[in-house]
Amino acid sequence: MISSYDWAGGHEAMWRFGPDAGPVVLAALPLFEEANRTRAFLMTLLRALAERGVASALPDLPGSGESLFPTETATLDRWRQAYDGAATLLAGEGRRVHGLGIRGGALVDSYALLHSRWFLSPQPGQAVVRELGRIWQAAEPGADTGDMLGDGPPIPIAGNLVSRTLLGELGGALPMLGPSTRVLRIEGDSQPADRWVPGSPLWRRVEPDNDPALAAVLADDIADWIASCAS
Amino acid sequence: MRPEGVSEVEDTVRAVLRDVLGLSGERAAAFTETTPLFGALPELDSLAVAGVLTELEDRLGILIEDDEVDGDMLESFGSLTRYAVGKALR
Repeated sequence: MISSYDWAGGHEAMWRFGPDAGPVVLAALPLFEEANRTRAFLMTLLRALAERGVASALPDLPGSGESLFPTETATLDRWRQAYDGAATLLAGEGRRVHGLGIRGGALVDSYALLHSRWFLSPQPGQAVVRELGRIWQAAEPGADTGDMLGDGPPIPIAGNLVSRTLLGELGGALPMLGPSTRVLRIEGDSQPADRWVPGSPLWRRVEPDNDPALAAVLADDIADWIASCAS
Repeated sequence: MRPEGVSEVEDTVRAVLRDVLGLSGERAAAFTETTPLFGALPELDSLAVAGVLTELEDRLGILIEDDEVDGDMLESFGSLTRYAVGKALR
């Protein structure tokens, strides 16, 4: 069901899945092009959670998805305010809110008071910026990536205008890791995690793809994690 | 979880090419030292190169500098694997 939420700077759409009571998972897609590659997969994951009796919500962040904000006005601060707005709405329903972030989606929940966090292959903002620089250079050979974080006009990256404010914010952003955070990664990833699962990183595919079997494995893990947080 | 041997790094390079370029397992498994990559694989355009490099960084726990990326490194499966081995196992 498509619903909506308010934040300090505006009003955005929000998908809602699952039961009207009980804990709710507030999801955040990866950033930029990776969001397009994983949207169908995340929807499959949230529906699988609903089948397991776990509710969820997927907000459009300002400047992404169906948002009316132009992409070049997007900043990390706005995304975090918006995510916090969505979390506040859900908490106001008397529910425990658990964060779910995939990749750079793990960077947008910092302002929200969450009961726990669950991340798939979270990445530091610096890695996001480095890859954006590579994509920019692929389209414009000779582009100076050392200049990305300074003053200047928005940078055209893979069809979107990205503000240097956002790139600068991302450069210093880290996922919130701690005892109430669970991290999963795809097998073969050398970085720390609580569990590695077999599968392939859909966010890398140039053509969007889906993986219902992986979604089912992750939905089981999230449902167990939320149940363990309640005890 | 860091790779410990040459064959493990080679497996990682193969898996990264398969996953990023959307190749079948059989096609990726058939890659040999001399299989040409950049300019020969239609799936490996400059945008896909960005994905391959970043995914190699994630999986091998390495950092690839921009000035190390050139045609020689991406010429063949063997040259890309040699580069990755040099980075990951030193």
